[in-house]
Amino acid sequence: MATPFSPMLDALTRQRGVTAALVVSERDGIVVESNLQIGQDGDRVAALAASLYRKARLAARAAGMGAVSFMQLEAPGGRLCAVGGGALVLVVVAEASVNVGLVRVELLKAIEGLSAAGGEG
Amino acid sequence: MQMAVVEAWIEAPLKHFVSETGAELALLLHPSGQVLAQHGFARAVDVMSACALAAGIHASSGELGKLLDGRPFRGLHHVGRERQIFLAEALWPRGTYIFLTVFGSESSLGLVRLYFDELVAALVAAAPKEVAPATPALAEHFERDLNRNLAVLFGRA
Repeated sequence: MATPFSPMLDALTRQRGVTAALVVSERDGIVVESNLQIGQDGDRVAALAASLYRKARLAARAAGMGAVSFMQLEAPGGRLCAVGGGALVLVVVAEASVNVGLVRVELLKAIEGLSAAGGEG
Repeated sequence: MQMAVVEAWIEAPLKHFVSETGAELALLLHPSGQVLAQHGFARAVDVMSACALAAGIHASSGELGKLLDGRPFRGLHHVGRERQIFLAEALWPRGTYIFLTVFGSESSLGLVRLYFDELVAALVAAAPKEVAPATPALAEHFERDLNRNLAVLFGRA
């Protein structure tokens, strides 16, 4: 069933190297909608990524740096990118070789749609 | 905040849960209301009240689930203004237990659910292999057992 989030998740997972895209509630860490590959544990990624994003946002605010626009986690096996839109966080899991610039552009483009689709909180 | 357990093998899994989720309170109890472990409570009377309420909520939500869905509801999440509660069944070879936790804005339901699943798996792995025969929580023994467990948790044993 198509939801307001489906087009942006489809656009993200079409990027080369992107293996998962999720819309997650920032406060609850619960998946709102996701595009996952078989075997990926969306609930686990969502809970931990939302927690990480929330803490990054609070840390940035505490340091007087303003709002977090884009968060990237780099690990040997891949990357995790996230942007926030109101009460929701858009999370992308990608291979290490992904073009982060393109993913970042897509995420920032999607954030407007995310807010319009109900992310304002 | 102090953590206290009636049986030592419960402590490590519960400590892991509390440290990973940042839960303010945690309580593991038998459906009869007898406490097995607690974290964050300062007074025995608060543990006793929380156990009684948790057992009551578990029993009533179980019956409600049977009415609506043909089987008991196994988890409950309630959001307050500043804190949230999560109450769920923990199943392991010794039988069914109830887990209650209270968490604030530092944590989230997703994290609590994630580490609750890990807690149950860790308890199953850590539980003594010999399974005690299931004995009903008889009213005549209930208060004695409850008081014994509270005394162990609050250092009066």
